Amino acid sequence: MTKQWGLKSTVGLALALALSTGAMAQQTSYKFGLAMPLTGGQATYGNDQVKAAEWAVDEINKKGGINGKKLEMIVLDTQADPQVGIQSVNRMISVDKVAVFVTAWSGVVKAVAPIANDNKVVELSVGANSPDISQLGDYVYTTFPLADVDIRAVANYSAKDMGKKKAAVLFINNETGIGSATVYRDTFTKAGGQVVAYEAYDQKATDFTGPLLKIRAANPEIIHLQGLVAESPQVIAQARQLGITVPITSYSGIYNQKLIEQLGAAAENVIATSLAPGVEDSPLVKDYVDRWVKDVGRAPNGLPYTQYLYDAPALIAAVFTSLDKKGITPTGENFRKEMLAIKSFDLPLTGKITFSEDHTVNKPVYLVEVKNGKWTKKAVVGQ
Amino acid sequence: MFDLAVVSQILWTSFATSSYFVLFAVAFALVLKVNKVFNFAQAGVMTCGFYAAYVGVRMLNLPGYAGFMLGIAGGVAMSFVLEYFGFAVLRQRKASAMFVFIFTLIASQFIAYAVMMIFGTWPTTIFASMFWPVTLVGGIAVSAWDVPAIAATVTVLVGLWAFLKYSRNGQFMLAVADNADLAELYGIQKDRILMLSMLLAGVIVSIGMFLYGTRAQVQASAATELMLFAVAATILGGIGNIWGAAIAAVVLGVVQNSSILFIPSAWQGFLLFAFLFFAIVLFPSGFRLPERRNTLKRTVVAPQALTDGKGH
Repeated sequence: MTKQWGLKSTVGLALALALSTGAMAQQTSYKFGLAMPLTGGQATYGNDQVKAAEWAVDEINKKGGINGKKLEMIVLDTQADPQVGIQSVNRMISVDKVAVFVTAWSGVVKAVAPIANDNKVVELSVGANSPDISQLGDYVYTTFPLADVDIRAVANYSAKDMGKKKAAVLFINNETGIGSATVYRDTFTKAGGQVVAYEAYDQKATDFTGPLLKIRAANPEIIHLQGLVAESPQVIAQARQLGITVPITSYSGIYNQKLIEQLGAAAENVIATSLAPGVEDSPLVKDYVDRWVKDVGRAPNGLPYTQYLYDAPALIAAVFTSLDKKGITPTGENFRKEMLAIKSFDLPLTGKITFSEDHTVNKPVYLVEVKNGKWTKKAVVGQ
Repeated sequence: MFDLAVVSQILWTSFATSSYFVLFAVAFALVLKVNKVFNFAQAGVMTCGFYAAYVGVRMLNLPGYAGFMLGIAGGVAMSFVLEYFGFAVLRQRKASAMFVFIFTLIASQFIAYAVMMIFGTWPTTIFASMFWPVTLVGGIAVSAWDVPAIAATVTVLVGLWAFLKYSRNGQFMLAVADNADLAELYGIQKDRILMLSMLLAGVIVSIGMFLYGTRAQVQASAATELMLFAVAATILGGIGNIWGAAIAAVVLGVVQNSSILFIPSAWQGFLLFAFLFFAIVLFPSGFRLPERRNTLKRTVVAPQALTDGKGH
């Protein structure tokens, strides 16, 4: 009986080894997925982020790929819509058999998390900032600091460094807006300030007079606006038209040149956050932006987000390279183990990231302000 | 919050910003009245009107008035395409009302996606700057956009009223609206009038989009959302009642914006749909005022009727 068992286990082990070796021998490329909005209202950002990731994959492959094997990126559209995102991710996992995929937009990140967890495939959220992302399960990680990082930084900076005592919060009535507004209110209050107005506006609103007048009546020293790129300039324009001249803070979504073109002098004293170093901080970022201007004819929409997307393939390639060296099959489970074993990654455009126990990362926050018609560096918080 | 200055400001801004909604609602109601179509493809016409003006001003660096004319041309061109290649063909094939309605939905989405492919999805405005200087009038901030927008809307409404009441084509339009088959018996070319109604609606919504696009950012999908307001106003104003739709658009805008005095601002959008829900349930034909003795439908005189005395 013992002999028979020994024979069986030897044969089984040999078969398993043969299959495993076969699988490794067939591993001629390493695939990962990228599910982003290529169409729909958010495609402006999505397409630029995909382009950044494509450039990164090309460069990784030019430098030898994953130990001589090609890194392949499967790109599918989410329209920033959770339902479309679910379809895309299901396809990536069941048809393309990816071990890891990158996605963004909080609604999509959350909607596809159960699929990642059930299939033991790693989901890397790169750009979404809803605080809930840290609690979406074992296989969901973010390389992008969540809202509580930049919103907390700007709230603390407003209260402690700028010395503002009374703030108003104006936010879009959606998941990201509500989550970020809550973080701002709690942080500002904890820092010794008082939130004197806390107003939401409807996602389809075309006029903001009402909430702005409520804010004006509360007489704040600073306003935090948590909106989308589509309506934020109009909100700021209307605020200035109604005689509200106090500084307006917001997040990285409004950090673009177009805001200044659209608002002119009304953009003065608008403060935005950036979660990645700018051209003034890193020569690599400068080269990257120069490449955009040369190849595409303009700076990327949402520069910091594209920097994170550019860095995502580098992180994935590092994990695959390590797995390949060790001869471990690149399953989602193995990818996760190896990523956590490496833990810290030096990335070209966003610097070093270290995964925390709660699946998030912590990064310094760069504050920029419109001064004399230009975005100028104001401070770096949390260095 | 119940400060006189605040209330006055809300009322003024609501009134000014309802200008483009009035135009969208009037155009929608006109097509519904004359062509008997719930024309959701109007969103496509609005999109074309906006982007034609955008091309003129931002890409070709034409002056504002030329962009305005180009915008109207864009909207009218799309209206022509929709009527000639869409609605007229469907009428010939005796398509059901439901099928025509589905066509309008598909057409609006098709146009939105086509425009998205051409212009991308980055929201934009007709002029590079969207900031309008403000003058304080009795404590109320009146922007340099407000008065011209209201004046343009009033001009369009007066022009439309005069056209429908005094021009031969306008009267034919009302005759077709009343009874298209009977109008045809009297020698009115129904298809020509239906085309005219579509083109007129194209002009009106293009003016509306020019006003909107000089104040707020627009992306290819924006018109669909703006349309919902027009639909709500048309239903509340009484289906087939053009002026009712215009009044409803102003009232809806003012009520929605003023509601912030009583409810949290996040509920403003909900209010629109609450209005719609109750309006449809309680007044399926819209609010109807008592008919006047001399209504337009009784005074419409078709050309043959003038000669054979059978007009009344």
